[in-house]
Amino acid sequence: MSESNVRLVPARQLISSPVDAVFGLRPGDRALVAAGDSVVVGAPIAERLRDARLDELDVPIADGTRAGSRWAGTPRRGDERRDGGELVFDWHGRWRVATGDIADPLESPFAGIVREVRPGTGITIRAAGRGIRGVVALGSATRGRLQAGSDGELRSGGLDVGSAGTILVVGSRVGAETLTRARAMGVRGVVVAGLSSKERRDFLASEARQRAALHRLPTFAVLVLDGATRRPLAGAVQAVLGALSGHEVAIVTDPPMLVFDLPQLVIPDPPIDLVRIRSGSLAGREGRFIRAIGPRRFTGGVHLEAGLVHLPDGTTAAVPIGDLERFV
Amino acid sequence: MTSEPRAFLALDIGAATTAAALIGRVGGRWRLIGSLSMPAGADLDAVIAVLGDRVVTADPDLAAALDIRQGSATDLPRLEVASQPPRRLAVIAASERSLAPLVATASRSGWRVVPASVESTEPLAMTTLLLDRSVTGVLVGAGDPPGADERRGLGELAALVAAAATRRPDLTVILGGGMAEHQGAFGDVATRMGEVMLGPAAERGTPGGPLADLLIELAFPPDDARRSLAAGAMAIAEILDRRVHVVEVGFNAGTRAAAAPSVGGITPLVDLAIVPAAALAPADPDDAAVDRVGQWSTWGADRHRLRDRLRELRIAPWADATGDGVTLRMAAARAALGRLSDATPEWAERAPADLVIATGGAWAVATAPSVSLALMDVLRRPGAGQFALDHARILAPLGSIPDADERRTMIADLIDDLLAPLGTVVTPAGLRSGRSAGSVVVHGANGSTRLDLMPGGLALIDLPPGTSAVAEFRFRDAVRLGTRGRHFAIDVTGGLGGLVVDMRDVPLRLPDRADLRGELLESWQAAVASGRNA
Repeated sequence: MSESNVRLVPARQLISSPVDAVFGLRPGDRALVAAGDSVVVGAPIAERLRDARLDELDVPIADGTRAGSRWAGTPRRGDERRDGGELVFDWHGRWRVATGDIADPLESPFAGIVREVRPGTGITIRAAGRGIRGVVALGSATRGRLQAGSDGELRSGGLDVGSAGTILVVGSRVGAETLTRARAMGVRGVVVAGLSSKERRDFLASEARQRAALHRLPTFAVLVLDGATRRPLAGAVQAVLGALSGHEVAIVTDPPMLVFDLPQLVIPDPPIDLVRIRSGSLAGREGRFIRAIGPRRFTGGVHLEAGLVHLPDGTTAAVPIGDLERFV
Repeated sequence: MTSEPRAFLALDIGAATTAAALIGRVGGRWRLIGSLSMPAGADLDAVIAVLGDRVVTADPDLAAALDIRQGSATDLPRLEVASQPPRRLAVIAASERSLAPLVATASRSGWRVVPASVESTEPLAMTTLLLDRSVTGVLVGAGDPPGADERRGLGELAALVAAAATRRPDLTVILGGGMAEHQGAFGDVATRMGEVMLGPAAERGTPGGPLADLLIELAFPPDDARRSLAAGAMAIAEILDRRVHVVEVGFNAGTRAAAAPSVGGITPLVDLAIVPAAALAPADPDDAAVDRVGQWSTWGADRHRLRDRLRELRIAPWADATGDGVTLRMAAARAALGRLSDATPEWAERAPADLVIATGGAWAVATAPSVSLALMDVLRRPGAGQFALDHARILAPLGSIPDADERRTMIADLIDDLLAPLGTVVTPAGLRSGRSAGSVVVHGANGSTRLDLMPGGLALIDLPPGTSAVAEFRFRDAVRLGTRGRHFAIDVTGGLGGLVVDMRDVPLRLPDRADLRGELLESWQAAVASGRNA
């Protein structure tokens, strides 16, 4: 096996470090931290307004009265004292102030250092740990104990209340019904290889209804590691998730990532020639890359660059290089 | 390149595809020696090393003449372009009426557009949009002079945008048309990190023009692959003395570049449109995007499964490129071409191109006749023209050569290697259905071939690459073929798809029923693949 040859296979990073996660803010939301602050797990970092509105107020001019700054107090006209809000813009001497009646606390799901706070935009925190990147994360940042679930598709009947407070690894695929049931039972998150578009849409609709409710359930997130079709988790990822089983981890949505803080956990580099077939008739299988064999004709009449892969059952297959991935 | 190398690498680093080409000086001119395209996640040096080693293995004498040895290709000089991902632009106006031309212009100028107007968007939502960190620029426009429906709201709109710009000093602000009067609201613009620029007003009905040019300049650096296509197209137009049209469909955007040489002292034309909405697979395909792909699909999948496949195509564009993955890609490419065409409506008014060049990652895994058919299906204009494929993806790197003379000389040397001829396509319009429309006699070097022309189908005549002929058309009734008439004699050149007489409707009409549509699409695909009529 030529090392140069295997580097033709698209590489995917197994472990990301450092992890800079962004927690979005909107005008009116109040950041409770400043750049350089250390945050611990569960520390409140912001208050998010549920139904923000823009009030038009006569704000007394003072030093520091500028767009983006906080204001609290009594307007020049009117006697009603306000809870305050965020100055948005000034037009003809009257400020438009973003404010709201109910605010929800936003807590940091991991320990780290605040890198940047931009009111109305977001808070960036560098996590103390490392992360496994996914393709998308739905829901809101969450934290829980990682628990291995089923290898194939997890069905709603397979959930039990003992999983409350955990982040479940459910294997190849999961449905919206299972996700909503998991959330209702107190599960904090789900890690899955594939989530189909229909399940994704149904879950997002359920999430939207949840957000509109007055009483809220704890945070819940779905981290999709691979894509939209059914395929098993990659072996290298499964190995890391297996090592993290029973430990506290977090899911963040921007970037979509599973974050863990276990400095003592040694994650060996995957073998350089280990490749995974991500699509096609051999999808999900892993093997050893032997060599690139140049263009080959495949079904559909297309000529694609191919590589020879030695599979664990002793067979060898010519696979389009575009169907392969390797972990670095 | 400052020295006089005997070989160099032309690299097109796309978001989904890395294309490397080895160009060497052979017999006193530059020639394409070899090329290789790989998924973007592949290591670039590994791609170059494999390409160089293949050249050494295939022709050791040529490699030695070019001073290329096993493993040495990575040391060659590089001419490299990269296609940058489009950024997000908030496009804001006082009224929906004035917003429409701004959106039409910005949408074809390399930006992902998020529109908002005072009439339709609350100030809080507008501020939220401007503070979104994924938004890197804002175009605030008004008519010049502002219309009656705009004037009242412009001052407050300027105050809102200026306040957001204060909070985001990195935000690029473009004040279009009548909004320029409100530049004072932005304070001392010289000290800002992001620029505050004045631009012309958007013109209703003509989305190109000076504002589009300004937005493209702001969207991408000068050596961006897509911007370089315009210069490349111009060089080919001058070399061949033909109207040239480049069509690119890629991972993040679709591009059209048109170039026409200077004729009789008239300034040469070059026009560029970069449309992020015409990307091969949209990041979050909505129902309209899925249905548009479904329209061209022979796969018969329901909307959910099709959406899943499009998401997978977005996540791993090179994966699953065999079997029905091929038809999915070509359906997605046709849908992208359709969106590209929708975003550039004024191009339909122009004279048809003499040469249409397809380029971009969408065609990387397709056969030549499939590419030709996809272009015929969507970019339908009555007339005759040649189709070609930039198979090695070197048009953009060559177009990035800064000196126009050097660029033209290099492309002139390489033009036969650069363009894989797909063939000549003749598309008459105005045929009456139901009976023979006439006949065509192709007079070639090896004799003449006569063919009856049946409306609604494709007539294919084998004409290999490198050959030329005269096609003499005799129609029963007058048709539109450039001009209106019954008799035409057209010089045609060969290609991988030969000569195609496309007698289908202009624009193409497909059956509403999915099964009938699928059968028809499959019959056309089978026809171009096998070279028999359909």
